[in-house]
Amino acid sequence: MQRRLFIPKKDKKRKVKHIYRRKTDKRILKKNPWRDYRLHGSVFILVVIAELIGTINIPITKDVVITIMPLIFTIIFGIVFYLAKPITWIKKRQAKIAEGAMMLFIGVLIAKLAISSGQSIHLIFEMGPALILQEFGHLATILVLPLALLLGFKEEAVGMTNSIGREPNVAVVVDKYGFNSPESRGVFAIYVIGSVIGTIFISFLVSFSLSFIPLHPYAYAMASGVGSASMNAAAIGPTLAAFPTMETNIEAFAGFSNLLSFCVGIYIVIFIALPLTEKVYNFLEPKIGKKSIIKEKEEDGDA
Amino acid sequence: MPDFIDGTENVSVHGIMNWIRLLIIFSVITVIGNYLGYKHPMTDSLVGMGILSLITLAGVWMERELPFNVSSIIYISLIGIILAFPGMPTSNFVLHYVSQIELLSIVTVFLAYVGIGMGKSWNKFKALGWRAIVITILVIASTYYGAAIVAHIVLVLTGVPAV
Repeated sequence: MQRRLFIPKKDKKRKVKHIYRRKTDKRILKKNPWRDYRLHGSVFILVVIAELIGTINIPITKDVVITIMPLIFTIIFGIVFYLAKPITWIKKRQAKIAEGAMMLFIGVLIAKLAISSGQSIHLIFEMGPALILQEFGHLATILVLPLALLLGFKEEAVGMTNSIGREPNVAVVVDKYGFNSPESRGVFAIYVIGSVIGTIFISFLVSFSLSFIPLHPYAYAMASGVGSASMNAAAIGPTLAAFPTMETNIEAFAGFSNLLSFCVGIYIVIFIALPLTEKVYNFLEPKIGKKSIIKEKEEDGDA
Repeated sequence: MPDFIDGTENVSVHGIMNWIRLLIIFSVITVIGNYLGYKHPMTDSLVGMGILSLITLAGVWMERELPFNVSSIIYISLIGIILAFPGMPTSNFVLHYVSQIELLSIVTVFLAYVGIGMGKSWNKFKALGWRAIVITILVIASTYYGAAIVAHIVLVLTGVPAV
């Protein structure tokens, strides 16, 4: 009970987080989740299949390539495993254990990112202020929030527009709001859709911008590090083609900016983007919020 | 408040054992995926996953045992950064083994669990529909332009020549 005494003010979000953590703990502590060989066996099979398929590149034109990575296979196959009728050994129980286990495995992901940050701390000082300041440019996603509200999203909009919604952002949002919260559904929606169309969309976006908007070549290079390896690669392609004499510098800036988006971007999201998105949401929602489009379908969920 | 007293306030040895077993399962799957996808030697990457699992375990344990209302993500990040900080006696060892694990290998296994967990709420995802696609496209575009415009302004102000 001692921990409770030290929570100064129980505002709404904190409470949600703690209730969720109790649920996770209950699953982890009481159900012997490691014993569920059906779940872990299935995950193992999924991973082996996905890694054996490997990364598939589908060239559309010279600069535009659709990249499908193994991680997209595992997430889609995972959903299919749960939904497919013939697969009877993955049921609600397995899904619940997967959720609980997932909260623990986020830690491994964060640990890997943290080690990359510690390792590259000196580069942050060498690369100059532009690299760090452009990370704050990612806050521009909050400008999309009003439109999300007008389209009928509620708390989902907070998860959707606080950042680009890649792995570290998903981890932060799920950790703060819990797996079954509207905010997490929002960020997962952006994650899944971004995984599928993000790469091809950003190829087009960069090709288009390079021909019409005259920005500094290094600015284009740094902007391509949006925090996703596949999108980074897709964005570098057209940039290199546009400035062929600066190849090495563009690659260096693009790579490091992407690393920064992973390591520093996560702290910008935790301490600035997410609180700011919530503030804007609380301010705008009563003014322009529409009737929720999710409400009526909630019953057939996971009650 | 019977709801508060459910055995989670005190982390029992039993609970820690469950975390350790889950992390071992996760590590083994990740190492095999890492080998299949990137051909990194299995023994080295197993040590790497061991380091990452220990950091995770420490962070998760500290979140529940220390009297601060701080998320385990913050503890895990701090431990990771400190261990890998250049000049720390641990940094060479940690970097050597952890670099054998590709971030994408961890993400691939992690997402398999996410996918299975997501299947349960598939109906809610379907309800997001075309509107979510519109928002995704705008979010990606605004991230890209936000970073590009800020970088451009700073580069011009600091006088980096646009060759």
